[in-house]
Amino acid sequence: MNLIGKRKIWYMISLVMIVPGVISLILYGLRLGIDFRSGQLLTVQGNVTIDQVQKAGVGLGLQDVQVVPSGGETEIRYRDTSPQNQHEANHQKLKAALADQHIEELSFDSVGPTVSSSIARNAIASLFLVSLAIVLYIAFAFRNAPPPVSPWSFGFMAIAALLHDAFFVLGVFSLLGHFLGVEIDSLFVTAILTVIGFSVHDTIVVFDRIRENLRRDKGSFEQIVNNSILETIARSINTSLTVLLTLLALLLFGGQSIRLFVLALLIGIASGTYSSIFNASPLLVTWHNYKLKRIEKARLAPKKA
Amino acid sequence: MSLRLKFILILVLAVVVAVLAYPREDAIFQVLHLEKKNSHVFGVRQGLDLQGGAQLVFQADFGKTPASQRQTAMDSLLAVMTKRANPNGTSEIEVRELGSDKVSISLPGERDVKDAIDRIGKTANLTFVEVDQSTGAQTPTGIDGKDVDSAYADYDPTRAQPVVHLQLKSGESTKKFGDLTTKLSQSGNLLLALLDGQPTFGPARTEAITDGNAILSGNMDVNTAKKIADEITAGALPVPVTLVEQRTVGPTLGQESVQRSLVAGIIGLSVVALFMLFYYRLSGLLAVLALIIYTALTLTLYKLSVFVPGYTIVLTLAGIAGFILSIGMAVDANILIFERMKEELRAGKSFVAAVETAFDRAWTSIRDSNVSTLITCIILYVTSSATPIIRGFAVTLGIGVLISMFTAVVITRTFLRITIRQSWGRNPKWYGVKVPEEANS
Repeated sequence: MNLIGKRKIWYMISLVMIVPGVISLILYGLRLGIDFRSGQLLTVQGNVTIDQVQKAGVGLGLQDVQVVPSGGETEIRYRDTSPQNQHEANHQKLKAALADQHIEELSFDSVGPTVSSSIARNAIASLFLVSLAIVLYIAFAFRNAPPPVSPWSFGFMAIAALLHDAFFVLGVFSLLGHFLGVEIDSLFVTAILTVIGFSVHDTIVVFDRIRENLRRDKGSFEQIVNNSILETIARSINTSLTVLLTLLALLLFGGQSIRLFVLALLIGIASGTYSSIFNASPLLVTWHNYKLKRIEKARLAPKKA
Repeated sequence: MSLRLKFILILVLAVVVAVLAYPREDAIFQVLHLEKKNSHVFGVRQGLDLQGGAQLVFQADFGKTPASQRQTAMDSLLAVMTKRANPNGTSEIEVRELGSDKVSISLPGERDVKDAIDRIGKTANLTFVEVDQSTGAQTPTGIDGKDVDSAYADYDPTRAQPVVHLQLKSGESTKKFGDLTTKLSQSGNLLLALLDGQPTFGPARTEAITDGNAILSGNMDVNTAKKIADEITAGALPVPVTLVEQRTVGPTLGQESVQRSLVAGIIGLSVVALFMLFYYRLSGLLAVLALIIYTALTLTLYKLSVFVPGYTIVLTLAGIAGFILSIGMAVDANILIFERMKEELRAGKSFVAAVETAFDRAWTSIRDSNVSTLITCIILYVTSSATPIIRGFAVTLGIGVLISMFTAVVITRTFLRITIRQSWGRNPKWYGVKVPEEANS
């Protein structure tokens, strides 16, 4: 089977998967939860309408009220404009006013602006740190990689694959946010970071085999990469299967409050398997060929001068 | 170490962790005279999202505190808040510094959050003020809550009402208070005690009190008297605080989450076990055995961490997800090894050679790939001091990765080595390998 020869098809599939989400990201962005933009979130068992909530909240100074049903639960989101020491009192009043709707409070979160900005800062810092640490680590782990590939190209192709996965998940959640009102919270950032870790985990296994085969095998770089992918494909798919099966069990049977977290992990890890087989290693070949062409050009250029 | 010894050690380990991980370990702890301190799922400490309760974050306002005294102010803020949140020091309530200017308090099982916020976040500044009997002009006396040693609520039979007893600190404070009350009793001026600007006593006449035992009386019921006494005893907050974050989880959500996660975990584990048996046959069976030891070992570690103060693993919902995820990952190392073993067998190598090569070759992949997940876990852990949910996930996933490397490389390997030394353990079919006829002969 020649996987590398069909690499343009694999790149196309990736584009088709990622482009809609990226467009949505540009147009609508992500719907930020209270962890990032501050505010109040009351989750209740049962159903209420936005009119009922607005009526119940009259005089409490609640702004940006949103009511989003999910499963048998309802998320009531708002921003309390009164001083911070009254937020809990207002929350109690709102709950009391909604008492005849047969709802039961599951959880209540209130996040102030100083906290939300530090959560956002931390999220960005950890994304940056994880990516940096991983490039450095791969470059280090592959420092003895035999020619024609430099350790750094292993690192950067792994980063390309992990960006693929991160943007796929971000795009899906941008679409979910726009069409279903799904908000992202700090757990979502955790999911992205975990997806990144897994994506690299998968990619490294294939790279490791490429390195081993480069030392041993003769043949073109393309062939060696292709063989390495084929030799590890059963492992890649089986490993992902076991992880995806456990995540699927969590998604179907686990708690409601981490459902979106598990969903982000699930699609991210699925995407990570795809990118480690069909993007990371083929990209090594594309990059290698590009460099060869450039060297060729450089060799021809002085003749023209 | 000989193979047989290794195998015996693994069996011993398996038995020990199975006993410890078994849900009814309480009896064992009792036999060993170890105190059981906390509520448990399987004896594992549960986070707020599982047992219900509240997490509060207060921001301290150090605007008026000189930079050199900030740490002192922070320390005393933590001390006072701890006294208020956890007066008996017995419960699982946790008060800790967050960043340089915040205090995070977790109150497991707390139902009356509004009361907790008031109780903990109140400044509780007690001051004594002299009130001129004719003009009503107020002058500070320089005596405040810092001069009070302790306070308790009592019922005063002569006044027929609840009162608050104050015990002033001996020495300077008692003397200052004695001088003040003597002066007031002679001049006829009134004494006023304010708690956060609210009068708790007076303005009223006072007699000379030189023994340091004062009584605050006024219109208060038993509960108010008790509250005031508690607030005065715990002391005033050195700086004002505001509540900047609050997360409350009701009791039903947590219980439901535990049950659901348990079901999800069991289903996930079973599906993975079935897959491994179906696909890798005999070696799959060995991997499943190793996986069961892995699960028990991990649970045991969670439980034992209860005895290591400061490093207790608190299981949150996200933490359970991390644990379940790590089950899926735990088999990854096995899959890497088995796939490699199949390859080597297909290439016609002997069983012993195939197993050894598989482990040698797969090891670099296992190491390099798990390190990337560990890097993620470490960075998540370091950047998540403010978000216990994320920290819980980072911890369980990280521990899972480490233990799974151990079980795959040590336990599965030992099992495999022993199996292939048996005559019945050398049938390629049992490993999902079709060996070409000519290679076999």
